[in-house]
Amino acid sequence: MKKVTVQDQGVVEKAKCHAAAIGVAMKESVYPLTATVQYPRQRKKMPDNFRGYILFDPDKCINCWECAFVCPANAIRMKEAPNKKYYPTIDYGKCIFCHFCIDSCTDGALRTTKIHDVAYKDMDEMVTLTEEMIEPPEIVREDTKLVEYLIDDKDLQMKKTREVDNLFVDEVPPSVEIPVVSQCIDGASCIGCHVCEYVCGSGAISSSIANGVMNMAIDTDMCTGCGLCVKECTMQILKLVRK
Amino acid sequence: MQEVINELLETMMSNQVSVPVIQPVIDMAAQIPMMGLGISFILWTPIFALLICPGLSTLGIFLLFFPWIERKLCARIQWRVGPREIVPWLGGLIQLLADTLRFLFQEVIVHKDAHRPYFLQFAFLSFAAALLPLLFINAGDVIAIASPYGIQLLLALVCLFPLFILGLGWASNSRFAFIGSVREAFMYFAYEIPFIIAVLAMVILFGTSNPILIPDKWGIILNPIAAFTFFVGAAMATSRMPFEIPEADQEVAAGPHVEYSGIAFGLIYVMCYEKAYILSTLMVVLFLGGGSGPDIPGLTVHLGDLMGIVWFLLKVIIVMTTMFVLRTIYPRYRLDQGLTIGWGAMIAISLVALAWSIVFVFMQQGGVL
Amino acid sequence: MEKEEQDRNMHILRTGVLSPVKRWSAKWSLWPCHFVTSCCGVELAHAFASGFDGERLGTLNMGISRQANFIIVEGTITRKMARALRIVWEQMPDPKFVNVIGACGQRGGIFWNSYNITRPSEIVPVDFFIPGCPVTPESLLRGVRAVQDKIALGKDETTIKFKKVALPSEVGPGSTIPTSPKRFAPTPLVKVDIPREVDWAFGSTTVNNLKSQLEGLYKSITITDKNRIAIKTAPDNLMEVARKLSDNMGIDHTKSVNVIDVPHEQKFILEYMASSYSNSDLMPVIITLFTDIERKAEPEFPSITPLWDSADYSEREMHDFFGVKYEGNAGMNAKFLLAPETQTPLRKDFKIAEENYVFDDSPLNPKIDLPSSLEMPAPTDLYDEAEASDEFIILVGPHHTGSGHLRWILRVKGDIIVDVTPDPGYVHRSMEKIAENRLYIQNVPLFERANISDPFNMNLGYVHAIEKALSIEVPERAKYIRTMLAELSRIGAFFYDSGIFSLFTGHSTGFMYVWAIREMILEATVRMTGSRCTPSFIIPGGVRRDISKDVLEMTGNFTSAVNKRLKKFEDIFINNPVFIARTKGVGVVTKQEAIKYGLVGPFLRASGVDYDIRKVEPYEVYDQLNWEVTTGDAGDCLGRYMGRYEEIKQSLSLLKQTVDALKRMPRGDVISEEVLGDYKEASEDIKGHLYHAYGNLVLPKGEWTSVVESARGTLLYSIISDGDSNVPHRVRIVTPCWMNLRGIVEASKGERVADFWTIYGSFGYFPPEADR
Repeated sequence: MKKVTVQDQGVVEKAKCHAAAIGVAMKESVYPLTATVQYPRQRKKMPDNFRGYILFDPDKCINCWECAFVCPANAIRMKEAPNKKYYPTIDYGKCIFCHFCIDSCTDGALRTTKIHDVAYKDMDEMVTLTEEMIEPPEIVREDTKLVEYLIDDKDLQMKKTREVDNLFVDEVPPSVEIPVVSQCIDGASCIGCHVCEYVCGSGAISSSIANGVMNMAIDTDMCTGCGLCVKECTMQILKLVRK
Repeated sequence: MQEVINELLETMMSNQVSVPVIQPVIDMAAQIPMMGLGISFILWTPIFALLICPGLSTLGIFLLFFPWIERKLCARIQWRVGPREIVPWLGGLIQLLADTLRFLFQEVIVHKDAHRPYFLQFAFLSFAAALLPLLFINAGDVIAIASPYGIQLLLALVCLFPLFILGLGWASNSRFAFIGSVREAFMYFAYEIPFIIAVLAMVILFGTSNPILIPDKWGIILNPIAAFTFFVGAAMATSRMPFEIPEADQEVAAGPHVEYSGIAFGLIYVMCYEKAYILSTLMVVLFLGGGSGPDIPGLTVHLGDLMGIVWFLLKVIIVMTTMFVLRTIYPRYRLDQGLTIGWGAMIAISLVALAWSIVFVFMQQGGVL
Repeated sequence: MEKEEQDRNMHILRTGVLSPVKRWSAKWSLWPCHFVTSCCGVELAHAFASGFDGERLGTLNMGISRQANFIIVEGTITRKMARALRIVWEQMPDPKFVNVIGACGQRGGIFWNSYNITRPSEIVPVDFFIPGCPVTPESLLRGVRAVQDKIALGKDETTIKFKKVALPSEVGPGSTIPTSPKRFAPTPLVKVDIPREVDWAFGSTTVNNLKSQLEGLYKSITITDKNRIAIKTAPDNLMEVARKLSDNMGIDHTKSVNVIDVPHEQKFILEYMASSYSNSDLMPVIITLFTDIERKAEPEFPSITPLWDSADYSEREMHDFFGVKYEGNAGMNAKFLLAPETQTPLRKDFKIAEENYVFDDSPLNPKIDLPSSLEMPAPTDLYDEAEASDEFIILVGPHHTGSGHLRWILRVKGDIIVDVTPDPGYVHRSMEKIAENRLYIQNVPLFERANISDPFNMNLGYVHAIEKALSIEVPERAKYIRTMLAELSRIGAFFYDSGIFSLFTGHSTGFMYVWAIREMILEATVRMTGSRCTPSFIIPGGVRRDISKDVLEMTGNFTSAVNKRLKKFEDIFINNPVFIARTKGVGVVTKQEAIKYGLVGPFLRASGVDYDIRKVEPYEVYDQLNWEVTTGDAGDCLGRYMGRYEEIKQSLSLLKQTVDALKRMPRGDVISEEVLGDYKEASEDIKGHLYHAYGNLVLPKGEWTSVVESARGTLLYSIISDGDSNVPHRVRIVTPCWMNLRGIVEASKGERVADFWTIYGSFGYFPPEADR
């Protein structure tokens, strides 16, 4: 345990402290340790993992709805595309940039950009449709210099370079791919409600009636492992297993 | 008619500000009938002092650019940049012009609880009243009214400021304005006495209270204690840190100014710079040798009276900057601490300063010095 | 109407001969009214501090609405704050402009279904909306630029342009819309005292001891977890049991007051969580005293405040939330946190909006009822009372340069403060209610928003409660990373408070200096996590991903790089004689008072109580590192500040130690495989598997309480799970600032008016954290 006590300052001590304070002001007025990034003319360099606006690649989307389910702000809602699949839309009037969606996206259909400085005229414009999330957007930029904060063991340095930062980062695939498929673990309990078949967007689940008995089949090749059937199954007899 | 003009011209010509380097131009212009009269009117020392320096024009330029100097310097000390983007290549020099114009075009709100006539009057009156002391201050050899009681008059006028601030606070009829005004009143009594004693010490030391007759000696060397007292008193009078008690933003929301908007606030906002300007000029006259300065060969001769003005203004800028930079160094004292300092330490120090002056004068008369 | 108002402002600038001059001057002189309404204010401060310096653009932050012409609405506008916003806007002279920053101020952000928020755009006309949570300083300045362009060029445009791309049109099989991922048990089993087998010898002796002392008064005494004991009593006996605990065992303060609604059993469970500051054996033990009462409109229950004063404000809070009337508590005749018209919102029959996962035709901005009156009620009876006794009332806040987002009612006699009445709740965003409607993993970012100046500790506390429930052991590397982050966050919060403190004493340089240091901390945070203030990085079982070597290097460098700047700050602010004169001997809280009012954290330690959760009940790797608890005796403003300053030096050393340890450690697992289950390969980086692993997390039934030492003191989370739903039944959060609120009030009494701000500053009060 460490006890902190503050001694009274004597007259000499006080004078010294006054002098020190004045000294700092005088020194800083000559050699200041300025730490200002002069946005909008300069832009601070953000790391590649910066959590900014989100881009979407429909080809990789397996329609698992997980981005919408995990979104804590309910900013992501799924919209039906012409191909009958549901793709995400983002409401930036709600988005909190936690990127839980990106971390949930199994196949890397969502990815981040370094865009974050945007002003909207209207709240209705803040809803970004799927169509708008595919190509990188254009923003108003005035920056000609890039500033990078470097911290060495002595002080903060500002490295200024005359370049325009690229705000779009390369796609980072999930660190490990864990291919899974849906499997029925207890076919005997199936009540034949077809929920799994209806909810499956990839057509992997089919049903047939033979001898008055309902038979559900899951096509492992077609199954994307989205897990919706597992979630919806009334009897909780479906499970995601390794391919 | 012509005689009156001639007589007037003669009076004016007898007391002209001399600037050798532009004399040929003046002479040439004097050939043109009305122009000559105009020029000699402006160069007539009292008018020059009133209108040009240290009077209105200089003050105007100060008000327009000094806040910029202050903001830039404070920003620098605070590891920032300060106003800039308005004209990047000049470092945002005309920032205050934009602010002033914006205030000019902004709505002036008189809230329903305010005493409407006084609320508006005081804003303008206080600005005007703050100008009066300029009549009695000299920049080098240039002065509007040279009076043997110049310093006393000046002090009396300086002491008017707080009254107007009280008026502002009273007319605002708001809780924070009320507390701010009360604080101002308290502080007024606390700094006034040591402040006056410090000036008195210098008057005794110089043996005159006519600013123009004050010798070009550096009072700060002759009586540093008085200089210190004066400086602290000036900081208190202008509500500078660490004595920014009446206008404490975080405590009483700028006190007396809390309800003012638009150009009315603009005037009050610059009033504090006006006050600082006047007290700095007084400081320069009393302690920093007024318009005296080392001879610069080739320049002093050509500039004539203007040289004194240049030195004078340079010193004023330094004093004002020091006063304003205090804001970056100190937090603010509490009201009772401010009062204790004023009524206790400050009075004691000012009396020492007074004693110092008296001893100094005796020693001087006794031929010791 | 609002459109008209907005047009009027532009009309003033567009008309007249001097129109170009008007527009030019207005463009370069946008003075934002200092209207801190929520946590985005932290980033606003960054935008105007040395890191970005908004003053460059001619925008000078002004405290007073009459002199400003621009409001930057910083995030949430609660029902209570709505009135303040309207009044401030009306106070401002024309022409004036409004920007709304942060998702909360737009469509609610993470608080979109809160019962206590409104939409600023329905209260005042808004020029620009800036997304983010919180916004970055750059985007804030982009908003300023957009307003400037609007004024000067008439360019009223969104600054982002999306390109539309046709979606694939090859028609697939199609599917139905899945149901909500949330699962609520219809008749949940809510029990607070589920016994658990733990290896805790002291526990069984304590329980035996309790049993013998409370003979006949209790119904059951259960060990629910290590260091957690639950005592069930009959309603009539609770007070007697508490008195016995207090007299015989030195249980001297409450950590939390809680009510749990169990509608299908027609009962409320009333809880007091009590612990001890004076008995060092019992320090880590939290005793939950609870009883069942009948669920009705306004049930009555005797207040415990005569015994434990620290329960006072929490009881008032529960009165707001559940309508339980604590007899004997002085605050039972008015709302404390909530707006007057609000019903008892935490009862289960008070429903809030449910998520909609499908983009359909439902209105984008569902109607939110505005408060019926936008008038700010002045406490008139208080005025009369004060006048009668020759006193003066000063209302400070919610819009005041020195108030933060709450209102203080100061009663002064001359220059002496007679009484202070806090009026909190201006940033009450109903986290506890929202948390009952979200998945466990979705609450991670939610609780972090309580305090974005100390985000990692906020994360850590909540995650700890989950880990406790699931008995998860976190991988070693993750423990070190968490400790490092927690200390980084503690340092950041200290600098935050120092900045505010120096502003409150009128020292803007101090503010700028520490904010520059904070900029370094945020730089480290953004490189580790991708976000400046709201990382949501700590998840149950570990952290989201490993931290790379160069970022660790940078964080390690920070511990020595900070010294140069800290020295200057010390010289100009901490050792400044004026600062010391202002703070020494001011606002003294004695040891007895500190315990009585239940202060927490460094403010408790400054009064001489040696209590730090990191030592008392060590978590992560605090017991393996070399550090000391700092205490003090003075209990004044300077003591509180210097104590924290010393603590931060310890934190810097802790940071250094953890970084060094991490550098030596090989990269490896950072998420516990127990929690990942089938996805254990993702233990180095959760990317791609977050929902799989956490979406359906269910806690075992019971109450799970965790305490951590956050930057400002003890942070308590108590999750009640029914063991079946994948959302919590109830989450109780007691934040340090909420507990310290009482300290500010008590320390201010008898001091001078100007001292109020030093005391306020010295307590490091962060209103969003207190209001939750």
